[in-house]
Amino acid sequence: MSTLLVLVIVLAVLMTIVGGETGIRSFFSVLINTLLLILVAMLISWGIDVAIITLIFIPLKLVTIIYLGTHDYKVAKNSFIAAFIVCLIVSLLILACQWLAQAAGLGPEAGEVLVGLSQMPGISYAMIAVTVAIFSTLGAIAEAAVAMSSGLLEIKRHHPEISRHELEASGTAVGNDVLGTAMNTILFGMFGSFLSLFLWYFRLGYSFGEVVNEKLFVNEALIILYSLIGVLLTVPLSTYLISRGMSNEVEVENEDRKHKSN
Amino acid sequence: MKFKKRYLFALLALIIGIALTAATYFAVGIYQKDNIAVITDAKIADRLVEKNKDVYNNQDETREQTIHVKVLDGPYKGKTFVEKNVYYPSQLVTQKYRAGDRIFVSIKKGKLALGNPKRDWVLVLVVTITVALMIALVGRHTIALVVSMALSWVIFYGVILLDVKLNGAYIILLFGAADIIFSFISLLIVQGFNKKMLVTWLATILGVFVSFLLCYIIMKLTGETEMQYETGDYATQDPRGIFLAQTLLGVLGAVMDEATDIVSSLYEVIKVKKDITPKELINSGRNMGQEIMGPLINVLLLIFIAEALPMTILYLRDNNSLSSAFGFTLSLGATQTVISAISIVITVVFATGCSLLLLRDQRGGKL
Repeated sequence: MSTLLVLVIVLAVLMTIVGGETGIRSFFSVLINTLLLILVAMLISWGIDVAIITLIFIPLKLVTIIYLGTHDYKVAKNSFIAAFIVCLIVSLLILACQWLAQAAGLGPEAGEVLVGLSQMPGISYAMIAVTVAIFSTLGAIAEAAVAMSSGLLEIKRHHPEISRHELEASGTAVGNDVLGTAMNTILFGMFGSFLSLFLWYFRLGYSFGEVVNEKLFVNEALIILYSLIGVLLTVPLSTYLISRGMSNEVEVENEDRKHKSN
Repeated sequence: MKFKKRYLFALLALIIGIALTAATYFAVGIYQKDNIAVITDAKIADRLVEKNKDVYNNQDETREQTIHVKVLDGPYKGKTFVEKNVYYPSQLVTQKYRAGDRIFVSIKKGKLALGNPKRDWVLVLVVTITVALMIALVGRHTIALVVSMALSWVIFYGVILLDVKLNGAYIILLFGAADIIFSFISLLIVQGFNKKMLVTWLATILGVFVSFLLCYIIMKLTGETEMQYETGDYATQDPRGIFLAQTLLGVLGAVMDEATDIVSSLYEVIKVKKDITPKELINSGRNMGQEIMGPLINVLLLIFIAEALPMTILYLRDNNSLSSAFGFTLSLGATQTVISAISIVITVVFATGCSLLLLRDQRGGKL
């Protein structure tokens, strides 16, 4: 059996033990998410418009990550709304910045890798760079939205009579922690993803000025920043959505009471 | 009042940042190797050379730009050159220039070669937006976040220096030690030195190393079949070592994130509900862990795999089968994701377990 397959089986078992039913669903969300990414690659390679595919797959991926990954419907609903709004805003930012950065295509190693491959694939790699950036930030945004919503709702569960104002204060506290460490997930994920590229820059004696103007480095650093901006926007939006949801509930309860008293 | 002050600082950061962006954009003479030039054409002459169709039936064009560039620094300062630039609109390996671009050029013996467009100012611009937004939303806390991030880059740079010096030897030990230092410093800056931070740190280290050991044993037992280390990009040293180091480094942030989320939320819960029992606390931790682990695994999945999309698309475009495209471009990233996912799941257990220490602390040593 291949190593990858055994690792996947171990992961499935662990997720079932630790996460129970939610764990199994999370496992499938990861699996489906992987398949969606491969599907995106296939659709783009068939020549379907990159922008349209990206627009269709943003909500599709968010639904997969959020609804399959969480068992609490309320957490999922709040997270999805927050994440989707933020994703759209960040996509606009990415579109503008990628246009300014002119950093499409493959990096400096391209010459070696491309032996036997087409150098003129006839699809816009500028647009593909935008798609890659959007998909890379999507996960971080969804994660921050879920962490915020589930953190706040957990506090509410243990402390049902909490006021809207107190909840917003707690939101700031949870938000600061979520933000401080979402930063780490993104930063180290990117470090881990591009370690070999950094070693390459270093061994080939790139100067600092060259590195900060180099296509792949700029793309990577920009993705870290887009993700941070996404997470930043998610914190107040999630808090707002949940505290607003609260006041709606209170109104509903009051109305119920009115009906009963009538 | 407090709000207004925060926004004022954000505005200040934005103004300083935009000034820095402009300074970077117009900077000349600070780059060691190349010179800066500006494209002076109001509209670049762009000519279709030929329409191409390759063996895979991909249709593309060859186009040629005629560009006037004025050199802005170095011995050729003030001189204008006329250069031809051939590009393919798909821009996989070629660069299309735009009117007014500031670009790098290298001039040897009076011959000019076009290089990268200047991109550093875009980085400064987006850093500015990020920092201004951060100040507006979290206020003073921004300093800790920015310092922590800058320090991470510095340590990362140091670790790379050390790795190059050791020429790739002891790479697992090196990055293992780096993980311990990284997590301590990051958590220290963000949370300060207290019991909560130490508990989070303990959970992080246990989560990373126990799972890495588990995966390493699995890899050894299965003989690392179908692990195509040689497909890793930019390999300048033993690709297997690089892969393991990337895995160790890549998952650290996520595990730290998760441990912090669980420990600090449980801490809030303990504060709000003083009479909570250990069993309730474990349930609460498990609940949180269940909610968080799926999305967190997806974060890393998207980072590790989206990066490989451009290559995957190219392989598929050139009529490779899905399985060979997967093997060449995605399998290492997928393996890295699965190992990271295992760490994330195991961390739920450690983070909840370690949180019991906090509860005991509050009860004055009794559980």
